[in-house]
Amino acid sequence: MQELSGLNAPASPPASLPKHFFRREYANLVALLSRRIGVHHIEAIEDAVQSALMTALEQWGHSGAPGNPSAWLYRVAHRRVLDELRGAARRRAIISEQSDRVEASEAPLEVSFEQELPDDLLRMLFVCCDPQIPAASQLVFSLKVLCGFDVREIALRLFLSEANVYKKLSRARQRLHAMGKEGWDVAGNQQNDRLPTVHHVLYLLFTEGYLSSHAEQAIRRELCAEAIRLATLLTAHRIGQESTSRALRALMHLHMARLGSRQDETGALLLLEEQERSLWDQSEIQEGLKWLAASAEGETFSRYHAEAAIAAEHCLAPSFKDTRWHRVAELYELLEHVSPSPLHRLNRAIATAEWKGAQAGLAVLKGVEPPTWLAGSYLWSAAQSDLLRRAGEKEKARERALTAMKTAPNDAIRQLLKKRLMPPFH
Amino acid sequence: MPKFLCLQRSLSAPDAEKPSPAQMQEMYAKFGAWAEKFKDNLVDMGGKLGNGKLAATEPPADRHFVEVKELVGGYMIVSASSLDEAMRVVKECPGLVRPGSGCEVIEIQMPGG
Repeated sequence: MQELSGLNAPASPPASLPKHFFRREYANLVALLSRRIGVHHIEAIEDAVQSALMTALEQWGHSGAPGNPSAWLYRVAHRRVLDELRGAARRRAIISEQSDRVEASEAPLEVSFEQELPDDLLRMLFVCCDPQIPAASQLVFSLKVLCGFDVREIALRLFLSEANVYKKLSRARQRLHAMGKEGWDVAGNQQNDRLPTVHHVLYLLFTEGYLSSHAEQAIRRELCAEAIRLATLLTAHRIGQESTSRALRALMHLHMARLGSRQDETGALLLLEEQERSLWDQSEIQEGLKWLAASAEGETFSRYHAEAAIAAEHCLAPSFKDTRWHRVAELYELLEHVSPSPLHRLNRAIATAEWKGAQAGLAVLKGVEPPTWLAGSYLWSAAQSDLLRRAGEKEKARERALTAMKTAPNDAIRQLLKKRLMPPFH
Repeated sequence: MPKFLCLQRSLSAPDAEKPSPAQMQEMYAKFGAWAEKFKDNLVDMGGKLGNGKLAATEPPADRHFVEVKELVGGYMIVSASSLDEAMRVVKECPGLVRPGSGCEVIEIQMPGG
């Protein structure tokens, strides 16, 4: 540790560090070291970074943080991972009596954080989206290496068991390990091939936060913020300077603007028509509209374009009643074309009901056989119950309402359904 | 004001789960708040202890010699009016007194004290 002593600027008590410093450094160091040492050593890299952060935690409290904390951490983590790999190589050599040298050289210690880091982080995102890594593992692995969440935290956020998260991480690591040094080299055309997957992973990350039934709003907001951070990285890069990436970014801002008003002060979920529109974040709305305009160049029309445009309609409407429902209904129809899903049909029915009345809404659903996952979900029965009640079919409406409440995933949603679907008699 | 040497002792450590980066951030902030609260008591923030050797006229042949760093994680010097007050300062230190880690507080006797 001798070479580090000079970096310790005397300062006491410890200065406070920027928000999310440890999580950000985790992601930065994993990406920087994956480029320099090889992403097939991902496990050793993750361990070394964890251990460097622990050392920082122990030392900086006493001696104060060094002048350049990122450079300090990089040096410590770099040394640890090389030590670990050399140690492992030596152990293998003893067993097999072969010399098995670690190829990683003593990389120059100077890293240009401002120039190289965004590239390395973005590359890491494309590495996570390797087509040979199962889709569910791509998201989990991204949360680990790009957001710095650990197994427990990922399990909590995605409603998975820790064992399941662990298994998904292993899958991704195995694939990277098998790829060898080439795992990092995602060529230009491969980058283009992987771009839709990158979009999808960022979209999932965002919706996991936005739609989550997680009780703590802070946790949900954090996931959305992570998705926006990575989308920002993408749209700042040459590869993300295209229509779909911009539409995705627009969609995120236009939803983020309304996140805070989706719950009342007791934490109960609020319907769109009950939300206090003055609470919507105008700066997020402006940012979203800016990206939506930028996404309109070219021929592409993706599901993100449709979803962003729908979100923009809501953001710009002066009230629930004065929403341009015909426009919303049309956009859902477009969304159905680019991304067929009965859920989009359901939303179209709801918008149509606001536009032309409950009967017209029910007509949109006529003949639609929902797949089992949707038929068994509260969304389907709740929307039907609402439309039926407004169309005057009280008995059928009540029956669907009971089904919806029975299948509600949590109490917040159950309360919301009760309020909406079973208004007190008067 | 009397001074006290505080030695962090690792007790039979259970396999503690590694903190996540987010938890580290929290630990760092708590430690900072503690250091701020007791800044008048913290004479020397000390540090972690590394390798050591015993200099002696004879090697400690018959004694089971335990390396200091196995027992002691780090040290600090605290000033307080009494041993009890020093204990109060130390007990509030996040991360120091917890399962697997304790802190020994020893008065440093001053000449004429």
